[in-house]
Amino acid sequence: MSTDNMSAADGAIAQYDEKQRSIMRGEVAGLVAGAILALGGVIALTLMLADRRAFEGYRAESQYNYAGVQRVSYTDYLASQGRKVVQPSAEAITAYNAWQAANPKTVNVNVLNKYLGDKYTDTAAVFGYMSSYFTPGVGVSCEYCHNLENFSSDEKPTKATARAMLVMQFELQNKWIETIPRPEGQVVYQLKCASCHNGQPKFWNNALIVSASDPKNFGKAAGVFGGGNPTSYDLKNIGVTLNGQTPPFYSFVDDEYLAARADADGSVNFFQVTADKDTPPGLNATYRNQNAMYHQNSALGVGCDFCHYGGYFASYVLEDGTFKWPKSQARHMQGMVQDIAINWFPQMPNLVDTAQPNCYMCHRGNVVPPGDYDDPERPAQVADPEIKPLVDLPVLKPILPEQ
Amino acid sequence: MATEVYRESFERRTKTVRYIRILEGLADTQFGPVYLGMWGAFALFSYLMCVFITAIGYGEQVGYNPIRFLREFAVLTLYPPSSASGLQMAPLQQGGYWQLATLFLVLTLVFWTIRIWTRAVANGLRPMVPVAFSAALFLFAAIYVIHPIWVGSWNEAPGHGIRAVLLWTNHFSVKYGNFYYNPFHMLSIFGLLGSTVILAMHGGTILATLSYGSHRELDEIEDSDEGTHRAQLLWRWVMGFNATAFSIHQWALGFATLVAVAGAIGVLASGPVEPNWFVWGCRADITPGLQAACPTP
Repeated sequence: MSTDNMSAADGAIAQYDEKQRSIMRGEVAGLVAGAILALGGVIALTLMLADRRAFEGYRAESQYNYAGVQRVSYTDYLASQGRKVVQPSAEAITAYNAWQAANPKTVNVNVLNKYLGDKYTDTAAVFGYMSSYFTPGVGVSCEYCHNLENFSSDEKPTKATARAMLVMQFELQNKWIETIPRPEGQVVYQLKCASCHNGQPKFWNNALIVSASDPKNFGKAAGVFGGGNPTSYDLKNIGVTLNGQTPPFYSFVDDEYLAARADADGSVNFFQVTADKDTPPGLNATYRNQNAMYHQNSALGVGCDFCHYGGYFASYVLEDGTFKWPKSQARHMQGMVQDIAINWFPQMPNLVDTAQPNCYMCHRGNVVPPGDYDDPERPAQVADPEIKPLVDLPVLKPILPEQ
Repeated sequence: MATEVYRESFERRTKTVRYIRILEGLADTQFGPVYLGMWGAFALFSYLMCVFITAIGYGEQVGYNPIRFLREFAVLTLYPPSSASGLQMAPLQQGGYWQLATLFLVLTLVFWTIRIWTRAVANGLRPMVPVAFSAALFLFAAIYVIHPIWVGSWNEAPGHGIRAVLLWTNHFSVKYGNFYYNPFHMLSIFGLLGSTVILAMHGGTILATLSYGSHRELDEIEDSDEGTHRAQLLWRWVMGFNATAFSIHQWALGFATLVAVAGAIGVLASGPVEPNWFVWGCRADITPGLQAACPTP
């Protein structure tokens, strides 16, 4: 190779080298700029989410920390929605005073005295209960159910519904709430009208409906804000049915759930969780299970590890042996929801056909339903309730820590 | 010799290549020429068929409304047939769209692999690129075709859609106990992290030694020079040993293919071999800290 060729080659290589250095400088500048843009994007996205969650009253402190769970008062819950606790109207109070003067002892009161004792044979005591729990809970004054000229009259259909609901409330309290597996010292709250109604006579208990066709719900449908709630198309394709039809939304009450029954050991598997060697192939059952879990995430405002050990969802204990009471309690409550759906809602007079119970109905995004009361007055066990269950659904055998 | 060959190639290329300066800062980018060929045409046709079938399936879900299509794109899904259907052909709206789209997607990837292979051979290269691509193809086939056929249900495969793939990842892990305890998943992640760090180390090393000419890789592989020597010394100082300018590429290819191959084995083994990876972790006693949460045998 001649000297000229050598220098020509060196020149070409030098030119190539310089070009590579130039490119590298550009790459470094691009990387720095890209990193700044990416970081800025992440910060902006985080701030947007934080702002939206604050706007929606999202309670970050209850997301993953069981110890930090605080009960939201009913008054505060209503205030967060721009509503106030309802009291009996002036007209109703005037009418009640006249009725009470004429009838100091109750007329045609059949439920309160049966469950809470003879105290409720006094009209004043019944009024106290009604104005403390019914009116604030259902969000209506006395005249919604009563003829103010004759409080004992059953002429209004709403009164028949309210009476049946009261029986249901006491029966559910005795059967499910009092028996909930719990650590020593944990408060057992009382179901009241407000537990489900939350101050509204006709309440929308399925507020977790996510229709992808509704622009407001796009984020939820995409799983950005709502944990991947299924669309009606999803439900059709994973085979979820309610009364034989694909439901327009999913909150875990479906035909399979309603058909589940406890075995001789008091165990029931409402949702398939993990596989074993006998599990049939296919992921539809897992999709259904996960969507039911997303409903519970949203309904209680908690993350998965509120109930579960993240390493193995089927486990009731953490890797250090700590017992996950909320998982045991959630299973118990799933039994109660099944009981409501099968035994109680079908017997409620004037109830909308499509009404289905679910976790959100009472919890409304809180671990403790804001409408529950810490009331020392407990209902008695009644042998012959006015409304009897249609199907015998025994209380599930509780899952408790191993001694 | 290598320098001369390289120089000629470079000089020849620079006569016809036009640099688009807007991309110069990101990479030494060159566009074209694209060779279509028979396999390319097959791949393109299959791909367009897959896109067309998917678009029809999505379109039915949004009533062929383009605004809804764009707004709901992230959640639109073509689902595989239900668990009860097993491996049968399903009606279009009950998994048939998914079956057709998947068939054409598989064909697309096979044709594409053949296309890369034939182009590599035509270019006088060893077929290492299609071999590497085949590893990814194996993982795809394991998830979408082989595993579902093995267990007897198309329902085990992911749907086609953005959210669908994310959901499948979660649900497949949940069903089979917890995929993090799948040893093949562990190996796959080892390969993923390993290939990431190797790529970063290699790229960083070459850019760091640019002043010493280590970026002239063909020359350096044949007859290493100062840049490569300094790079190798750096890694001997840092971690006690070094790769060569050639073997670093073997390392990279090995780690990258490990990701897909180990991942595919992990998917295939889920169910027929081990239905619950957490329980396997308990049996294998891979960490004593798990024992409290292990199910009683």
